[in-house]
Amino acid sequence: MPRALREDEVVVTGMGVVTALGVGVDAFTRALRQGNSAPLSEGSMLIRDFDLIAFSNSLHLTGSISPSVRQAARRAPLSLQLSLAAALEAWRNAGLFHDSPYASEQASLIVAGHNLNLRTSYDLAEKLISRLDYVPASHSLHFMDTDQVGFLSEALGIRGEGFTVGGASASGNSGLIQGLRQITGRNARVCAVVGAMTDLSPLEIHSFTAAGAMSPDGICRPFDRDRSGFVYGQGAACLILETAAGARNRGSRPLGILRGGAQCLEANRSAEPSREGEARAMRAAMADAGVLPADVDYVNTHGTASLLGDQVEFDALTDVFGNRFPGVWLNSTKALTGHCLTAAGAVEAAATLIQMNEGFLHPTAGLENPLAAGGRFTGPSSVEAHPRIALSNSFGFGGINTSIVIEHVNEQI
Amino acid sequence: MTRAEIFDVVRGNILEVLPDLDPALIEESKSMRDLGANSIDRADILIETMRQFKLSLKVSDFSGITNIGGLVDFLFAKISAR
Repeated sequence: MPRALREDEVVVTGMGVVTALGVGVDAFTRALRQGNSAPLSEGSMLIRDFDLIAFSNSLHLTGSISPSVRQAARRAPLSLQLSLAAALEAWRNAGLFHDSPYASEQASLIVAGHNLNLRTSYDLAEKLISRLDYVPASHSLHFMDTDQVGFLSEALGIRGEGFTVGGASASGNSGLIQGLRQITGRNARVCAVVGAMTDLSPLEIHSFTAAGAMSPDGICRPFDRDRSGFVYGQGAACLILETAAGARNRGSRPLGILRGGAQCLEANRSAEPSREGEARAMRAAMADAGVLPADVDYVNTHGTASLLGDQVEFDALTDVFGNRFPGVWLNSTKALTGHCLTAAGAVEAAATLIQMNEGFLHPTAGLENPLAAGGRFTGPSSVEAHPRIALSNSFGFGGINTSIVIEHVNEQI
Repeated sequence: MTRAEIFDVVRGNILEVLPDLDPALIEESKSMRDLGANSIDRADILIETMRQFKLSLKVSDFSGITNIGGLVDFLFAKISAR
């Protein structure tokens, strides 16, 4: 049953996605529906041979991107290239490159993520450790995560507020929650939230393996009895947020409603997840959104295939949904894209919106024997479904718990 | 190492940092700033050139140079003096 949007509701009007599973929203959508995991490279789902210029040409944005930005982007670190690609696609899809009614000071920018460029530092150290006098000057810009804030603000012409938001694996959702508050708090009329890729060096990859967190065989089996840890996935996604009234006034069709979200800590520094903390975040997100568990049709889980994490999330879901639990669809996008770390929440919000708009839920790839009964997981193939309200969860090391609430839009502009 | 070889290396590094630049525009009478290189770009070009020639100089040692020809002369002198 379609409902009219309230003027002040926050809607998503543009999306951009660049992942190992698919580059661009269309390719990503097809791949989600097909349900095969992204190809593995050295045990991870990496983005290989990304051609930023070819991708931006495919968006037909000639004239909208300054030559200086194009040129600098070509030798920028991979994480920045992916963020730029996702942001250009999202801004273009939102129709903001032409005839935007917003002044540049009315647009704000959030780069969700941190430690985005560890790879470059590692590569430079490996090459130059005995000749540090040859470290490039440009490293003074690129080593900082805020390099992406500056770069993207130039590419999109944004002169309102801009900053990075950190939350480990919950960065994406944390960024979307701050983006939501940019709009509801009237700090901005339009806000671009970019979930940025953490470009890991071998040091971090080995540290995850040492911690027992990363799957030893590159297979991601969320919620399966034989799960063995996460598979690192590379990707970035961007979502454009504005009010429903703003979207309507400029004839932009909303892709979904960001009803609300919540983030909470646990006074716990460890990597161990908390059933109570995760349940509290989900309840707080629903309260913020003004929805009840009975209203929720689908949860895009955090679902990393962590031995402990998946069990804790499953238990938290049963606590939150109670009798409703068997009726709530569940899947994990990480089985297809890998764990996009700081970008995960944004990639998964995009996946949630895509599935809601296309009327399907992607498979929970890798799940053969669920860790417990009672969960309505999608199987090995996509299912036709029309969820109206969804949660998307992300939980980060250090007790950082987040959940956001997304509602499908039926209203036609 | 001939002066022409040094120019080729400098030219290559300019194109590495400014990949969209028309190579035909790189002339000794021009400065890197004229070609659109900002201060970070220019420092990167100098540092990569020094690395390739195994020179140990500071970026500030190049401060009196006003164009690409001057840069090539300066490098030629340093390399020849080794």
